[in-house]
Amino acid sequence: MRRRTTALLAVAALTAASVAMSGCSSSGSGSSSGTVSVWVRDSESGFINKLAKDFNETHSDQKVKVTIIPSADFVQKFGTAAAGGNAPDVASMDLVYAPYFASVGALTDISDKVKALPWKDDMSPAHVAQGKYEGKTYALPFTGDVSVMYYNKDLFTRAGLDPDDPPTTMSEVQADAEKIAALGNGTYGFAFSGACGGCNIFSMTPSVWASGGDVLSSNGMKAQLDSPEVGSVLTMYRDMWKKGVMPQLVQSDSGSNAGDAFKAGKVGIYNWGDFYLSSLTDKENGAKFDWGVALIPGAHTGETASFAGGDDIAIPSGAKNPDGAWEFLKWVTNKKAQQVMADNGVMPIRLDLLKSIYTPKDSRNKVFAQAMAKGKVPYSTIENELFNDSNGVWSTLIQEAVFGSGTVDAAQAKAQKSAQALLDKNNG
Amino acid sequence: MTELITRARPRFGRHRMARRRGLLGFLLSVPAFVLLALFFVWPLCGTIYMSLTDWPLLGSPSFVGLENYVQAFRDGQFLQAVGFTLFYTIVITPILLVLAFGLAFLVRRRTRAARVFQTVYFLPVVIGLASGSYIWQFMWQSDIGPTTTLLGDLGILDPTKNFFANFWSAFAIVVGMVTWKVVGLQMLLVLSGIQSIPDEVTEAARIDGANAWQAFWHITVPLLRPTLALVLVFSVAGSLLAFDQFYIMTVGGPSGSTLTAVYEIYRAGFVQFHVGYASALSILLMLVLALVSAGQMLLLRNSDNS
Amino acid sequence: MTATITATSTITDQIHREMPKRRRTHVLPRAAWWVVCICLAVLFLYPIGVMLSQVTPGNVAKVTDASRGISVLQSLGNSAFVSCLATAVTVVASTLARYAFAKLPYRGSRVGFFVTLITFMVPFQAIITPLYIVLRQIGLQNNLVGVALVLATFNLPLGIFLMRNSFATIPTSLEEAAQLDGASTLGAMWRVMLPVAAPGLVSTALLSFFAAWNDFFAALILITDQHLYTLPVSIGILSAQPNFGINFGLMQTGVMITVIPCVIVYLVLQRYYVAGLLGGALK
Repeated sequence: MRRRTTALLAVAALTAASVAMSGCSSSGSGSSSGTVSVWVRDSESGFINKLAKDFNETHSDQKVKVTIIPSADFVQKFGTAAAGGNAPDVASMDLVYAPYFASVGALTDISDKVKALPWKDDMSPAHVAQGKYEGKTYALPFTGDVSVMYYNKDLFTRAGLDPDDPPTTMSEVQADAEKIAALGNGTYGFAFSGACGGCNIFSMTPSVWASGGDVLSSNGMKAQLDSPEVGSVLTMYRDMWKKGVMPQLVQSDSGSNAGDAFKAGKVGIYNWGDFYLSSLTDKENGAKFDWGVALIPGAHTGETASFAGGDDIAIPSGAKNPDGAWEFLKWVTNKKAQQVMADNGVMPIRLDLLKSIYTPKDSRNKVFAQAMAKGKVPYSTIENELFNDSNGVWSTLIQEAVFGSGTVDAAQAKAQKSAQALLDKNNG
Repeated sequence: MTELITRARPRFGRHRMARRRGLLGFLLSVPAFVLLALFFVWPLCGTIYMSLTDWPLLGSPSFVGLENYVQAFRDGQFLQAVGFTLFYTIVITPILLVLAFGLAFLVRRRTRAARVFQTVYFLPVVIGLASGSYIWQFMWQSDIGPTTTLLGDLGILDPTKNFFANFWSAFAIVVGMVTWKVVGLQMLLVLSGIQSIPDEVTEAARIDGANAWQAFWHITVPLLRPTLALVLVFSVAGSLLAFDQFYIMTVGGPSGSTLTAVYEIYRAGFVQFHVGYASALSILLMLVLALVSAGQMLLLRNSDNS
Repeated sequence: MTATITATSTITDQIHREMPKRRRTHVLPRAAWWVVCICLAVLFLYPIGVMLSQVTPGNVAKVTDASRGISVLQSLGNSAFVSCLATAVTVVASTLARYAFAKLPYRGSRVGFFVTLITFMVPFQAIITPLYIVLRQIGLQNNLVGVALVLATFNLPLGIFLMRNSFATIPTSLEEAAQLDGASTLGAMWRVMLPVAAPGLVSTALLSFFAAWNDFFAALILITDQHLYTLPVSIGILSAQPNFGINFGLMQTGVMITVIPCVIVYLVLQRYYVAGLLGGALK
């Protein structure tokens, strides 16, 4: 009996010891001065390895180690790591998060270093603005995304519209969509993801901007959800919905189905991003019809706008190798790296280089480049809570105004009140 | 019960025997205790501490005492989510249980065919909940989902209608998915419970003149109490903690009507970055769950009396 | 009581098998049974059919393309390591603990049991941040062993509960018989109880394995090195489209790759599950 007990204790002790030892040997994500740990979102997965390889080949003293993280969980993982004192050296995040992270001290101040950058004025202005907080710079632009209007040229022709003359005002969009929906037989004029806040701040808000309005004041202090421009965009969507111009799935779509419907050739007009290009041109599952892109219009001809999305790249505070991290930041915003991105179908953020490395690659890139120059982003430290949350103020506004039984005005008033309350609580 | 027998047996040196056995028992439990202490109890204390603070994920925490808890009771959206979670649990638990019993009795024959069907019904358990959610969401998409187009071709329903835009149809689809995925597991547990009941007992009752239903209700079910307790406790706990299926399939919609308690905790913690508040909500949920589970265990005490 | 009846049940089962098939009291006649079973089987298999329809050779090629730095094969290996280790730890810890709770009570065993129970009452999101910090303090952060231990801990309540039914129905007479033969308490447990408790053991192993294999969240937060990613995390990254989209075909292909090992494990272990029910205490 006693022998058994001792044996048991010995086994327990051995197990504990071996666990501890294996822990010591295989943990440790390289905190020596020569390694730079880089965390990126999965949207960068297409080119980041090449980028890292090129960097490692041209830098003898610093080596980059990449970790790709699913977009939807990036903030969670980054937040937990930072809270646990284990932030990476470089983090690439959706640019709408940059103000928040900067405001809570999660990012290192790089203002002085950026001042010395030769191309500091040639980068996408929207990205740069997002990377600033209270006058200091905390993040640099990294990758670019813009929202544009995709339209099905074949459906245009069938509906009697000129396929090379896309709509240039919101009322034209609505008229064209109605004509295409009149074709019937499972064909619709317009689609969007009705239950996805982030998708709509990306694809719907440009219409507001192009009409001269905004959802948020430029200093991020006042909500403008009850403005007339927002109202006219919501009314346009509501009219289209009520007339059956949109497929039923838009009411609950959280991001992927509207695009699939367009790709299947069932939808005439669909606002989405430049990244959609690769999906449409895919050899196996791509679009099997003729299509084009145009800038998202506003209320009057000649006024267009776009959402400048993508990633900003920053050095988290608590990074173990900030010097190596800065080397990497410099590298990815320079010509060679931006060229790699352009080669992989990702928009560079260097406006001065767009003409030479990006536009020649595809006829449609010209439109994207134009969009980026006009790109805007709402600036707020609670952008996520307000606009990205699919159950938040912005999403609820769209659900109620477009699909609900009340009026657009009532929905706007309610949203304005909630949004302003959140902003006041946060900024005050 | 068994403890009674064990303690009654040794007639000589009773205390010493019991103490030595007690010590061995303690030692045997050490691995489990070490794991629990390190990876659960200690972090749980951290969560409790967090619940007493106002902590924006990446900033510095400030102590606020019980304010988070007070706020929870005033939080309309959270209370609504709790209400929905309870509703969901009350609906799905009997569905799962009845189906599990039905399937278990169906496949309890000792034929190879029964074994094959048993595997088929268990198969969805093997797929992750998230994967299952994606599959079903795709199946039931209007216009492009295979199920809606199939049923539309058969004339049973309108394929252009959006089944996720209406609360009841969305709810039904989610319940369907969870049932499909989970019932096989419950069936297996019930089956193992049934198979430990010898046929003699039921046969004896039948000889005494009881019909199949009476035999089932008065003999089999009471004997299955421990199994029932197990199945129910886990089923209810899983339902009260539901998150993935609603996050993926309905996104809490339409209009936030399918938000669950854990969904709200997720939103508070990782969308609004109020980690302290989210921790408080989690502790509250845990207390509710503990109460419900304790209640269930008491109601279904392991009584072997036949 | 039930204890004695169970002991004799296995004997009677064997008798039943040897006798010619007597009419058993089934509710459904044969034909109806087949119809019902097949209809249900169709319903159960349909979603899996939908999943398989999305798996094309092109998708398989895309998913297994390791040029982006994430290798499905490597993730498979990582998942296998984590799942096997977690399952082993769960089975051993819960068997020992449950045996102790049932047969060798001591002061505080009830408290321990209760603590185990509340482990599955806490949503994982709530506890992940402090858990991450704890793992970092003991040096097991970004380590597959750490992930396995965490998963094992959260599978403990399941294991302890499942084993409870098995151990509870074992009559002490069996244990005493073994002890009379000169075995120690532990030896009695090993040689006599375990075979009888085999179904519970196998159930615990199966369910722990599936839970560990399909876990996404713990692995995502606790692992930082890409080459240590487990399968669900890798599939999640490989099937994502930029900005809110999911490439459905790729994802289903990934799901299929994830599911196949589980099915194999189930088929293999199922044989022991059934055998355990019919064999056991007669030895």
